[in-house]
Amino acid sequence: MSKVIRDCWIEFGHFAATFGAFQIFSMRLLPYMPGAFLRPRLISEQIYNIGALSLVLIMFGGLFVGMVLALQSYSTLAEFGQADSIGAFAAEALVRELGPVIAALLFAGRAGSAVAAEVGLMRATDQIAAMELMAVDPIRRVVVPRFIAGVISVPLLAAIFSALGVLGACLVGTGLLGVDSGAFWSQIQGRIDLQDVASGLLKSLVFGISASLMGVYEGYFAAPSAAGVSRAATRTVVITSVWILLFDFILTALTLPEV
Amino acid sequence: MLRNAVPEHLIEIRNVSYSRGDRTIFDGLNLNVRRGEVSAIMGPSGTGKTTLLNLITGQLLPHQGSVYFDGRVVCPCSRHRLYAIRRQIGVLFQHGALLTNLSVFENVAFPLREHTSLPEALIRQIVAMKLHSVGLAAAWKKMPAELSGGMARRVGLARALVLDPSLIIYDEPFTGLDPIAAGVILRLIRETNDSLGITSIVVTHDVVEAELLADRIFLLSAGKVVATGTPGNMRSDESPIVRQFMDGLPDGPVPFHYAGADYAEQLQLMSTA
Repeated sequence: MSKVIRDCWIEFGHFAATFGAFQIFSMRLLPYMPGAFLRPRLISEQIYNIGALSLVLIMFGGLFVGMVLALQSYSTLAEFGQADSIGAFAAEALVRELGPVIAALLFAGRAGSAVAAEVGLMRATDQIAAMELMAVDPIRRVVVPRFIAGVISVPLLAAIFSALGVLGACLVGTGLLGVDSGAFWSQIQGRIDLQDVASGLLKSLVFGISASLMGVYEGYFAAPSAAGVSRAATRTVVITSVWILLFDFILTALTLPEV
Repeated sequence: MLRNAVPEHLIEIRNVSYSRGDRTIFDGLNLNVRRGEVSAIMGPSGTGKTTLLNLITGQLLPHQGSVYFDGRVVCPCSRHRLYAIRRQIGVLFQHGALLTNLSVFENVAFPLREHTSLPEALIRQIVAMKLHSVGLAAAWKKMPAELSGGMARRVGLARALVLDPSLIIYDEPFTGLDPIAAGVILRLIRETNDSLGITSIVVTHDVVEAELLADRIFLLSAGKVVATGTPGNMRSDESPIVRQFMDGLPDGPVPFHYAGADYAEQLQLMSTA
């Protein structure tokens, strides 16, 4: 029994140390944030690498999630004579919930892991050390542009995901299930308000920060070996996913409209 | 102190001690690098040659004693001052450590772009000049992955030279190169040092190259400088550790057997494990 308690205590110690290192790392990023925008090319390059190249995956995901939503909700809604509402239902689910969450999960898998592996490999091949010896702070040159690019990309990707999702629902709803397209769109217009969009935006911003920060942190402190780099990529995806789901619950509870 | 009183030694390491865990790496190390010379730092693997480089460049803090660069303490000081010192030091890593997502040209231009706001035309001129001096002006468009080991090191040298440093540090510059490429690097180190009037430190365990290249050799062993001198002096030095290292003898003051229990006990241990 005492062994279990001791193990838990040691585990907690590890967790606290990691958490502390993470805080200190985040604090080191902050002072470079404003200056980073003076060199927009570094950021735009990374937006291309981690944002634009995730686009196909995100669009594909959005389209199919929207189509599935329409199919799944149809039978239930039709039972209550509300088949016209599948658009509103899908749009609300996508904008408030599925868009931010699934887009962020896909982003973590596609781009977060890639950032962790890239930065980790730069560490393993002495590129980070070389920058430090050239008196260039790698946090400023490597980490901050990737972080900012991720934070900008995720909300945009989530919006594209939701838009494609609604389109997918429309295709299935009006094409396959025979819902009137006028009713479909007017229901969406009546149902979705600014509060829904704002709540989705807030979520994807928080998820974007989590995913990007985790990727650069794991990469920056990866052990300089093949195993270390792969571990960094894996940890990025796993920890980011847990964070996204956890933050999603908290933010949903906080932003739920009063009934 | 007078402003024009230039210290004779560019690097002074005074009484430095450093240990990693419970393993002592340096114990009261003293080492002075003269201005304008090529100094070779040699020693068996695991004697802390790389640690010494990290101490000189301020990546590690000595637990005792201090390191002086041009009369100023390297560490401890603020990140800002440390970076000001590092701008005067060029480092060539063992494998060049080029930034893999940038072309050869952009790699050499990197320090200029980060530290100066020179116009693009001037940057092109400087980079072309530095690449030409290492014989790779024609390879400016290539990516680091397309270069051979020797070429990557020459690009690394061009990059180390681009801010006109007063000291260049070479970390194992000959390891893994064919004799021709090693000869090219050797000539480049010598010529760079003499034509630019800078100071060079070469960390290596290649005895032949070090004897050809260096003005002064420092032999490290067990955390201390055990012998210093010109290559000629080292050749005639009769102390056992110098002879073992310079002649590549398998056994001597540095034992062939890893320290541990004697053979009979070891067999016992291994069979019961």
